[in-house]
Amino acid sequence: MSVKLLYIEDDKEIGEFVYVHLKEQGYEVLWLPSGERALEEAAGCGLAILDVMLPGLDGFTVGQRLKKADPSLPILMLSARTAIDDKLQGLQFADDYLTKPFHPDELTARVEVLLRRFASVAAEPLAVKHWLVYEQENRIENRETGEELILTGKQFQIFSYLLRHLGQIMTKEQIYEGVWGEAYLEGDKTLMVHIRYLREKLEKDPAHPEIIETVRGIGYRVKP
Amino acid sequence: MKRDKKERRARKGGRFFQSLQSRYLLIILSAFLFVPIVFPVATILYYLLGVFVQQQDMQELKYGNTSQIEQMFHQQAAELSGASNQHISDTMHKLRERYPDASFFWVDGEGETKLELGGQIELPAIWSNEDSIQFMKEYTGSDTFTVLAFIGDKPLGQGFMAMQLPRSLVQSNTRLIFEAPFYILFLILVFLFFVALSLLFFRHIRRRLLRLQAAMTRQGEEGLPLPVEQEKQDEIGQLEIAFNEMILQLRAGRQREREEEELRKELIANLSHDLRTPMTVMGGQLYTLHKEPLSQSGRETVKQLENKIDTVSSLIENLLSYTLMTSGRYPLELALQDVLRLVRESAASWYPLWEREGLAVDIELPEQPLVWSVDKEGFRRILDNLFQNVVRHAAEGGYIGVAMIQHGEQSALVISDRGPGTQSASKEKGAGIGLAIVHYLVREMGLAWHIDSSAAGTRILIYPEAAADYFLNKI
Repeated sequence: MSVKLLYIEDDKEIGEFVYVHLKEQGYEVLWLPSGERALEEAAGCGLAILDVMLPGLDGFTVGQRLKKADPSLPILMLSARTAIDDKLQGLQFADDYLTKPFHPDELTARVEVLLRRFASVAAEPLAVKHWLVYEQENRIENRETGEELILTGKQFQIFSYLLRHLGQIMTKEQIYEGVWGEAYLEGDKTLMVHIRYLREKLEKDPAHPEIIETVRGIGYRVKP
Repeated sequence: MKRDKKERRARKGGRFFQSLQSRYLLIILSAFLFVPIVFPVATILYYLLGVFVQQQDMQELKYGNTSQIEQMFHQQAAELSGASNQHISDTMHKLRERYPDASFFWVDGEGETKLELGGQIELPAIWSNEDSIQFMKEYTGSDTFTVLAFIGDKPLGQGFMAMQLPRSLVQSNTRLIFEAPFYILFLILVFLFFVALSLLFFRHIRRRLLRLQAAMTRQGEEGLPLPVEQEKQDEIGQLEIAFNEMILQLRAGRQREREEEELRKELIANLSHDLRTPMTVMGGQLYTLHKEPLSQSGRETVKQLENKIDTVSSLIENLLSYTLMTSGRYPLELALQDVLRLVRESAASWYPLWEREGLAVDIELPEQPLVWSVDKEGFRRILDNLFQNVVRHAAEGGYIGVAMIQHGEQSALVISDRGPGTQSASKEKGAGIGLAIVHYLVREMGLAWHIDSSAAGTRILIYPEAAADYFLNKI
């Protein structure tokens, strides 16, 4: 079953090619030329892509209303204005933001990241190297042997945090704050210790990790 | 117009008497008149005061004053001219009844004391010349007021009669105030009154000026002072009116400025939208073209066009951002931040692109936070522009390094590449505006930066303004 995307764009030419592009990527797309009926049409959609400059209700207002009605609906803003102007308006409600002109591949990448972050219930298992991850069931299975991998709560949380940001580099502070929910204190080794144990369980050769990659000086990343 | 002028003149006339100038002139005038006029006037006033006091005294004396008693006694004596001894004696008794506090005696023509009423002094029975002189000597100017009167018109014809009263009954003590020290004191009081008046006058002016000054420094809404209440029609009142008018003008100016700023902002937003929309369409068409079967050179052309679209769009972004920022539409919210954390996060988002461009990434940042007072978004913008510069103009060097160098308390962030240096990189002019934004933001955040560029590469240092001397010398 493909995910349904709500796409609001008043410019016909841009709308046309984005519509076609997203269709090609296997999404079901509902394209509206204005935000008036956004709230009603959003039902059943897995993600909303909004243009900032719309006739009538502007993209910010539509986005804020959508978010208020359903906080679990990820919202990606497309803007043709200058970034600082948009930032002044406040983008707190939006989950991601892309300025025009954007590369269609960039758009698809962002949509995928957002969908994964807001993972809907029927998420399919994610394959990472020799593992199959069933996030909803808190279960990780070895594809080769069918054995289940037993992780501690924190280890699983760290791993799924990185999986939710697949392909993105996350800094130590971001991971710590995302998993523990409190401010990271400099020099805290807790995260590194957890990652070491996690690697010992995940990696075939923990001395040369292939799943959780260390990006020197920045943080960690799980490549798709 | 004419009526206006007339009215104004009439108002001016009325205002003259209310003006500080006229009041000041009045005080100065009285100061000049002080010597020639105030002295005599004070003297006259003083004299009148004296007369008034005297009249008060007379009402207080039950027998009248000395001259009235003398006059009465001499008249009585004159009336007794040629009267019999019995008549004289009766008259004396009647006088005694009228003036019970007084004593009387009568000496006849032969010098014999005929009658003595209420006297406490011993009188000679027969008056010799020595006795008379002795008596005169004793009572002239003494505490006892004495009146002597010859009876009849011929001296010593029928003798003389005398009346004696304690002087306190006919003379008041208040006369004392007519003496010199009191007069000088009075003059000093008049002088002090004048001084006090001047002081009050200037204190009043001072108080109002201070009130106006306080009103000017106090800030109301929008950072403008509030209008003051006009107290009087004088010069300070005029000043208050002018001040209020100035505030109104300032407010109008502020309003106009805000409207213009709003217009400019809207213009830029529209301009941005109008430029980017067609570029997005162009990008979309190129993407579609990508999927068509193309020759090698066709694919290269499409790739080049895509790059140009990227360049132009970042140019638009930078140009419009710069305009907005420098017109004060981007208020920086400075707060203490760990900038290394911002650097790591920014590097994390740039990392995939660096990988794609084949850059070796060397990030050497310490664990300890580096806390500077920066605006989060602004600092990210600085990093974005610098990182983008490396990708655009120094990718051929195949290297990007981010590090921190330290000297004592001071630290500097260093971004280095091994590109051909900024001089030769300027073949793509787009770098200028991006760096102008960096320059603007760095300065607004109280930081400083330095570009150290050679053919072997470029190093960009960012450090707090306070550490500028050290890091500049080091390079």
